[in-house]
Amino acid sequence: MVTIACDAKGRAAAEPFTTAAHQQHPSLIDEKLTVAELYDARNVPAAFWIDEEGRMVRANDPIYAQRRNRETGEVTLNTEYLDAVRDWVAKGPQSKYLMDQERINARRPALDADDVAAAAEFHLGTYLALHGHAADALVHFKRAHALRPDNWTYKRQAWSLGDIERDYGTTFQEALKDPESGPFYPPLDLAGHG
Amino acid sequence: MAAATVLYQEREAEAEVSAQGAELWLTLPALTELSGWELKPEGVCKDETCVPVPAARRAALIGTEASGTVFNLTEFARLIQQPFAHDEAHAVWYFGPAGWEWKDRMSSRQAPDFELPDLAGRMHSLSELRGRKLFLLFWASW
Repeated sequence: MVTIACDAKGRAAAEPFTTAAHQQHPSLIDEKLTVAELYDARNVPAAFWIDEEGRMVRANDPIYAQRRNRETGEVTLNTEYLDAVRDWVAKGPQSKYLMDQERINARRPALDADDVAAAAEFHLGTYLALHGHAADALVHFKRAHALRPDNWTYKRQAWSLGDIERDYGTTFQEALKDPESGPFYPPLDLAGHG
Repeated sequence: MAAATVLYQEREAEAEVSAQGAELWLTLPALTELSGWELKPEGVCKDETCVPVPAARRAALIGTEASGTVFNLTEFARLIQQPFAHDEAHAVWYFGPAGWEWKDRMSSRQAPDFELPDLAGRMHSLSELRGRKLFLLFWASW
């Protein structure tokens, strides 16, 4: 297992969580989100399965291993997904959860001109925000969000560098309902190649 | 000529540039220093790649100023389908990957290799983990 923290503020942002989780695996930091873009992680969490030969066999599962109910504090394990991972570990290429290329491509579609234009605006905005120009960064973040409203990674990272209500005139709950943005997490579909 | 910051994918450099609106003109030494591209008789070259300069776009790409020959990096970005963004107030330009880099990611079943630091700054690559099943999880603090 390898985890990648997508945080413009790098180690300072990630370490409180990795320390609390007592991580034993390689815990990497992707400050510029270049690897998140390479894998098309348009929101987090996003999980990928890679086999012994370095081939991607499942892509972009929007998955938590466990969830905590904010009101009751109750923690529930996502046993369905954990069982799927165990199935792959035990059966390897025979696991019914492995995806064929067509399904992987659907989870990680080809980039278009809007994707890469959004990325350019997002990276410029991040640079400005981290160099003390938060107000000027907003113009570029908003362009990125308008170009790719379904990229929650660009939204959530930008919001975290400012104030969503003051800077974007919305709230997280309202933004979730924006029909332009599509689903925050697509439904978990465990099917493999059928 | 005025100072500007150019973020060319992983490179970041300050340079004296000749900006005209959103067009970014550079001297040839600055071009190579900022972007790695070099103007040669066969085209605009970096490592094994040479992009020919189309005759119809030559005037938009290459000009002459008092400082000598200048090259329009934004026009070149359009030519190679490279996304870019510009902040006029702070004179910062960002250039993303060339079209041939961002368009070919579907061509292989191999998971794209990468190299990233861990919390202690030690670098890890995907290829060094070959031979084991790998569960790769992206997360964030935000």
